[in-house]
Amino acid sequence: MGWTHRLRSLFRRQAHARDLEEELNFHLAMREQRNREHGLSPQEARRQARLRFGNPTLLRERITELDLILLPQTVWQDLRFGARILLRQWGLTLTAIFALALGIGVSTAAFSAYKAFFARPLDARHPQTMTNLAVILHTGVTTPVFSYPDYVEYRDRLHAFSAIIATSLPQFLPVRTPGGTLVQHDEGAGSLIGRLFPLAGSTNNERALSMFVSENFFSVLGVQAVRGQVFRQQDTRQLATSPAVLISGNYWQRKFDSDPSIVGTRVVLNGASFTIMGVTPRNFVGTFVAAPDFWIPLSLEPLVHPEQNWLTDREKFCCHLRARLAPGVSLHQAQSEMSLLADRLRALHQAQSDWAQPLHAVVWPGSPFPIPPSQNRNIVIALSLVALAVALVLIVACANVASLQLARAHARHNELSMRLSLGASRLRLMRQLLTESALLAVIAGALAFLFSWAFLQWAVTAAANAFPDEYGTFVFHVSPDLSVFTFVLGISLAAGILFGFAPALDSSRSAIAASLRANNFVSLGRHRLRSLLIASQVALSAVLLIAGSLLIHSAIRALNMDTGYDDAHVVDLNLQFPENAGYSADRKTALVHQLTARLAALSGVADVTSARAPDDPDFRDAAVSINSDAPSRTNTKAFLFYTYIEPNYFRTLGIPLLFGHPFADTAEDSAILSESAAKALWPGENPIGKTLRLSTERQFHGPAEPLPDGPSWRVIGVARDTRGVLLDGSDSAQVYLPMPAAAAAQYPILVHTRISPATLIVQIGPLLASVDPALMMRAITLEDMLRSSAPFIASTVSAAIASVTGLLGLLLVTIGIYGTVSYVVVQRTHEVGIRMALGARKANVIALILRDSSRPVLFGLGIGLILAAGAAWLLRHVLYGIDLIDPLSFGGVSVLLIAVALLAAFLPSRRAARVDPMVALRCE
Amino acid sequence: MKQKKTDTLQGTLDLLVLTTLEQGPLHGWGITLHIERVSDAILRVEEGSLYPALHRMEQEGWITASWGMSENNRRARYYQLTRLGRKQLHAERENWARITGAVAQILAFGVSGT
Repeated sequence: MGWTHRLRSLFRRQAHARDLEEELNFHLAMREQRNREHGLSPQEARRQARLRFGNPTLLRERITELDLILLPQTVWQDLRFGARILLRQWGLTLTAIFALALGIGVSTAAFSAYKAFFARPLDARHPQTMTNLAVILHTGVTTPVFSYPDYVEYRDRLHAFSAIIATSLPQFLPVRTPGGTLVQHDEGAGSLIGRLFPLAGSTNNERALSMFVSENFFSVLGVQAVRGQVFRQQDTRQLATSPAVLISGNYWQRKFDSDPSIVGTRVVLNGASFTIMGVTPRNFVGTFVAAPDFWIPLSLEPLVHPEQNWLTDREKFCCHLRARLAPGVSLHQAQSEMSLLADRLRALHQAQSDWAQPLHAVVWPGSPFPIPPSQNRNIVIALSLVALAVALVLIVACANVASLQLARAHARHNELSMRLSLGASRLRLMRQLLTESALLAVIAGALAFLFSWAFLQWAVTAAANAFPDEYGTFVFHVSPDLSVFTFVLGISLAAGILFGFAPALDSSRSAIAASLRANNFVSLGRHRLRSLLIASQVALSAVLLIAGSLLIHSAIRALNMDTGYDDAHVVDLNLQFPENAGYSADRKTALVHQLTARLAALSGVADVTSARAPDDPDFRDAAVSINSDAPSRTNTKAFLFYTYIEPNYFRTLGIPLLFGHPFADTAEDSAILSESAAKALWPGENPIGKTLRLSTERQFHGPAEPLPDGPSWRVIGVARDTRGVLLDGSDSAQVYLPMPAAAAAQYPILVHTRISPATLIVQIGPLLASVDPALMMRAITLEDMLRSSAPFIASTVSAAIASVTGLLGLLLVTIGIYGTVSYVVVQRTHEVGIRMALGARKANVIALILRDSSRPVLFGLGIGLILAAGAAWLLRHVLYGIDLIDPLSFGGVSVLLIAVALLAAFLPSRRAARVDPMVALRCE
Repeated sequence: MKQKKTDTLQGTLDLLVLTTLEQGPLHGWGITLHIERVSDAILRVEEGSLYPALHRMEQEGWITASWGMSENNRRARYYQLTRLGRKQLHAERENWARITGAVAQILAFGVSGT
């Protein structure tokens, strides 16, 4: 309303003053003239006019004053005034700034971390022109993994891209370096992540994280070697005759102490010998998020893995593709051109391949993530939950500051009603209050920015240190950038307006009310709003705390849960045969038999068997039919998991058989079901003697491994369920099949030990060397393997996040209740004085205040419990083995919140009880 | 008590000014003159109140001001009612009618009571 006018007058202040001057002069002159017409002498006419007009300076001042109240120039005045007010109540101000900084800081940290991790570009020159390539198969699955022959077609035939690069996933390769010898070490021992997620277990060889990259990789990304040379597309022929690799600056520094003579020395990776031709810049991660140790030309892959046939097999999907857009080409154009070529390539694929079916290409901005995180449902859910938790903390912080502001507004009651009666409009008062809130928010925002910046720096260092060196050097850039800063400022301003608005509305309304009434009693509306703010803080904190407590409880359960097998005493031995030495299948089987026999003879070893452990992340599933026909699209009873076992498997792992008997020998067509599998196939029936058929068509399986397709299997037993690695627990439904004798060498060796697994693992190293010194192994207890599985990681990480946000919420609620009750006590000094004069005792007064302040707490808690039940339902997939309405979490948090609220109210209420009735009454 | 008086006075002045302007654009001097004349010099508008009030009403958006030529060819600032101002005028008129009606009732009660 008229704001353009005000804005204009801000810039036309001089002109405005002149206008006013002229207008007043006109008036004076007219009055003078009229006086003369009435017969007064010119002097008298002038004197009378002046007299009547009053003091013109005073008049001008009054009008300027009006301007000062109304014009936007007063924003600066508002700010100065606001700052004075904030300074005067510095205790409350600090509390509010702290609460808000906490809320904003958490949001900023979360946003920055998201940006640093999920929204990071590729580590390339001009990353904005880089793109990721993938295809959507006819099954609807988006796959970013191409075969090498297809890559060559795309690379050479597409014009929409100036270049296309291919990379393999990073992989661990046994390494022998000039200074290095075979060492036995615990991967990542001593680092946090290494302890939490022992991916590697113990090994008897040193391994280096290596990445196969196409020869044009470095020139397309625009990266030079800091020492020596990078390989280029035109070097491909020369590389074939003299194999060479690049070493990362990080590995060079760590392993070779930045030895300047590294270029030209030899390194042996998985048995293949290479010359180190250059060193890449430190922290250069390329298309990945961590710096690997070695970069190997993709064309030399057959040297490292002689049996893999990556370069020639069109059905071996090995490579992620990224491309640089040609100048002036849009993502859409590139996508259409690539789709056309993908369609032509269908003819070259085998008929049963998914790639021979209709498919189309997708091209999107370059990212280290092969598939956009937004397409991964689990990541999206996890991120949404974190975002929700962070948003809740911010809302609690805002509600907190709002309730503090509200309490403060009351203290300023007199000032506000005075200003209102002096002609300031409600809008004007609201603006003053909003200015103060915004000022508060901006200060808090600046503080939060520093806080989150420092926190992220610390977190990045901690995270980098937490990952063992063997996983490569994780590189995150979380230095504050402009967009993060804008984001913080946006949040803090929005928060300022959010929490400034309610008190502004309320206090300007009650200021009017108060100016009409003479006394100063607390108005009902105000009281309700404040209670509402307290209640909402309590409710949201309850949600955060209960979610955190549920997740912690479930993580503890997950750790201690009965897995259904003896995970603490079984060691998983994963053997690796040197790929270049040409071990035949027979020789492998013979070696495994020999090793098994030697292991069984060790003292302390109870049993040895060959099988995949229940918590092996490498699992298989199949379609199952229970009539005599093979499973097909129309004839499938269920999708279950299958695994091959030797007769002593159940004894070795300590899994009890509920019905029937174990396999007698390996030749029979019998199967044993887990309880869940039996329930899925024949609910409520005895499955013993029934038959089933399996089909692995369209399911993943490795090359040359035994498949259960074909004849029917007769059920001879039911075993107790075991816990697998899938979040939904569906892999408890297992079909156990007898292991073909020749296949045992493909599976890990499981050793049940009566002594400590660590002691056993130390003995295994020399034993293995005496069987065959070239064998490599990795040993890990099933317990440790389980800890690195998805459900465990998910519940641990979410428990950590939820408990941190929950504790922040609790802290904020405590501050909020304490601050508000303190102010209520000040407000009610008069009332308390009257009560005490009328004979109320201290205990009565304290009880009164506690009763009044606990009402919104209880109300908020009730709402919070309902919301928390909803949150538990959202979290049901990561909650392990506890009720959704976990009495411990819900009850414990309720008691905690009530106790904290009572304490926060009790301290200021004692002050009320000390009120001297005489002083209170005299205040009037 | 003092505030209340200010409120009423201010409201009355607003009503008087807005009513005057309802007949057409006028400068500050003209408004003073009109009110004095029509009220037979019973109501006298103080310049010290009039100009701040005009300024305030302009800021509220009830009236707009523009420069024009007065009857005797001097540059004068003319005020004109806006749509918003017309609305405000109606509201204030109704309010005034209510208050005077109430006062009249009380007076009438006083008369009949004696």
